[in-house]
Amino acid sequence: MRFKADEIASVLQKEIEDFRGQVETSEVGRVLEVGDGIARVYGLAGAMAGEMVEFPSGVRGQVFNLEENSVGVIILGDYLKIAEGDEVKSTGQLLSVPVGPNVIGRVVDPLGNPLDGKGPILATETRPLETIAPGIAGRQPVKQPLQTGIKAVDAMTPIGRGQRELIIGDRKTGKTAVCIDTIINQKGQDVICVYVACGQRSASVAGVVEALRAHGAMDYTVVVSAPSSEPAPLQYIAPYAGAAMAEYFMYKGQHTLVVYDDLSKQAIAYRQLSLLMRRPPGREAFPGDVFYCHSRLLERSAKLSDELGGGSMTALPVIETLQGDVSAYIPTNVISITDGQIYLEPDLFFAGVRPAINVGISVSRVGGNAQTKAMKNKMVAGGLRLDLAAFRELEAFAQLGTELDKETQGRLDRGYRMVELLKQPQFAPMHVADQVISIFAGTQGYFDLVPVNQVAQAEQELVAFMREQKAEVRNKLIETKELSGPLEQQLRAALEDFKKQFSARKK
Amino acid sequence: MADKTQLKTRIESVMEDPHLGAVARIYADAFLNAIPANQMGEALEEFRSFVEDILDKQADFSRLLLSGTVSRDVKLTLIDRVLTGRASELFTNFLRVLARHDRLDLLPLILAQSGMEYEKRSGRRRVQVISAQPLSEGALEKIRERLAAQLPFQPVLEPAVDPDILGGLRIRVGDTVYDGSLRARLKQLTARVRERSLHEIQSGRNRFSSSEGN
Repeated sequence: MRFKADEIASVLQKEIEDFRGQVETSEVGRVLEVGDGIARVYGLAGAMAGEMVEFPSGVRGQVFNLEENSVGVIILGDYLKIAEGDEVKSTGQLLSVPVGPNVIGRVVDPLGNPLDGKGPILATETRPLETIAPGIAGRQPVKQPLQTGIKAVDAMTPIGRGQRELIIGDRKTGKTAVCIDTIINQKGQDVICVYVACGQRSASVAGVVEALRAHGAMDYTVVVSAPSSEPAPLQYIAPYAGAAMAEYFMYKGQHTLVVYDDLSKQAIAYRQLSLLMRRPPGREAFPGDVFYCHSRLLERSAKLSDELGGGSMTALPVIETLQGDVSAYIPTNVISITDGQIYLEPDLFFAGVRPAINVGISVSRVGGNAQTKAMKNKMVAGGLRLDLAAFRELEAFAQLGTELDKETQGRLDRGYRMVELLKQPQFAPMHVADQVISIFAGTQGYFDLVPVNQVAQAEQELVAFMREQKAEVRNKLIETKELSGPLEQQLRAALEDFKKQFSARKK
Repeated sequence: MADKTQLKTRIESVMEDPHLGAVARIYADAFLNAIPANQMGEALEEFRSFVEDILDKQADFSRLLLSGTVSRDVKLTLIDRVLTGRASELFTNFLRVLARHDRLDLLPLILAQSGMEYEKRSGRRRVQVISAQPLSEGALEKIRERLAAQLPFQPVLEPAVDPDILGGLRIRVGDTVYDGSLRARLKQLTARVRERSLHEIQSGRNRFSSSEGN
């Protein structure tokens, strides 16, 4: 495309001709000292906590500490250009980010500046980073499911719209993969997604953006990136910026999903700032209000009442543990704030169980209400958690080498198949109807005769079979979202057909 | 304790510690409160003369008085011997209080703070007027009159020259800056023009993409 240079030039000329400068009135202070991402400023007597200030180089800052004789400011940008004695101007505004439909599909920094080289973002509105979470009257219970497309999650730790589900695990256990799959699965579901990368490697963020783009997920996703090379203040505000962008859509009555990847890095950035600001350190040197730092962020996730438009904001905070230590300070904090957690284990990951979800200690405190009736059915996922727990116990017992009776052996075999069935490759989210069919087939023993190493293949074939040959059963399941008596009979009949076809082909 | 000679060698860009300023303000307040209102000017003049005519000129004496190694009692007797009869009772007492609290090194700061506080109490305040070129007396007087009409106090002008502002005036009262400089206006214009051109480019882009049905 070509721009009409004359047209733009004439617009600019008119702008210059009409320009009447105004006397700027502002309150100023002087920089006393500059540290890693922070500055102490003398003056600014009327500064307010959280107010935005401006340095001469154009870099912005946020008032963080109000002391007797000086003001502590966190610098949101290049702090190396700031020198002692520089004049700092107050702006009288809160720190805000651009929000709105124009932000969707973009990769931005926590201040809303584009990072993807696709030109400026022309947002019509901005929203303060920190807003108060909706109150009790403004909310309603979580009762609508947010399908992640991951069988193990949707069946056993279901997530509802407006819920906060923590994803916790050691490094390299597939935490980000769960989040990315969830975002990819929102395609066509009318859910706006925000992925906040906080303290990540730039290379992994680029990888995530590429994966989202390849699966067409960038059409409804915003990526807020504050990689570990950015100064701590930017990493600290990144989750709030992401929340503000999602909130805009929530209050417009839309559904949103925000992934905070990850909050342990944000806590570390906050600890750095607090220590530089000489706030007293507490446990693990974190400041006393690190709990509030996370709780006020996650509290902004909500399912709004119908009067407020019924929008929702689902949060998937990520926490990285060290050596599986969930009793460290930050993990316990965030576990207590969220409505459940998905616990990923390296042992399972390396044993090939992927996603490596530890079913035993992963819970969802409110999502059960949001599960579809078909999924909640006793013959599908209703008893799955207990069955798997019983299987784990039995498996440990069987390792002793004792002879097992037929029934026990049968339960053990089914357990192996269920574990196999819950495995799922990355970037392959499943429709909830397919999930119901495949879990139903597993729990009801339709895969019992399939060798364990062929379960995945059999499942794939089953899904294809149901789509192609028994579409009416599948469509009815999607339509009614319930596994009623007659439909169950139809499903059983279809599965019998499949069983015959499958075994015939194997022979 | 900061040595006076050391203070003077500090590079100019390094700012005074605001904490010391805050302490000095408390002493300055107390000093002014102790003086009867009609003698304030006189007392301040005495204070200024002590700092400028004695401390600044008698290096040995000021070193002795401000040094941390000399004990409090020695300083007190020194003050008594030197000042009794030569200075007012109130000022001598003030110096004794400072000596007793080991705050004699703050004297220059306290003097500056007292001066400012005195001006404030008598309805005057410092106003910094920054221009790109030195202003004539007449121009300054005009500015003073205009400011006096606008501000709720009598301005005491402190003219300063900063070629960086290019033109116009920049007026600073306390922490508040009224910026009417050419540089600030150019900055505003730059922001406006940038915003406008981005808008034009984007709307052109939107027009283009919609006509193509993309």
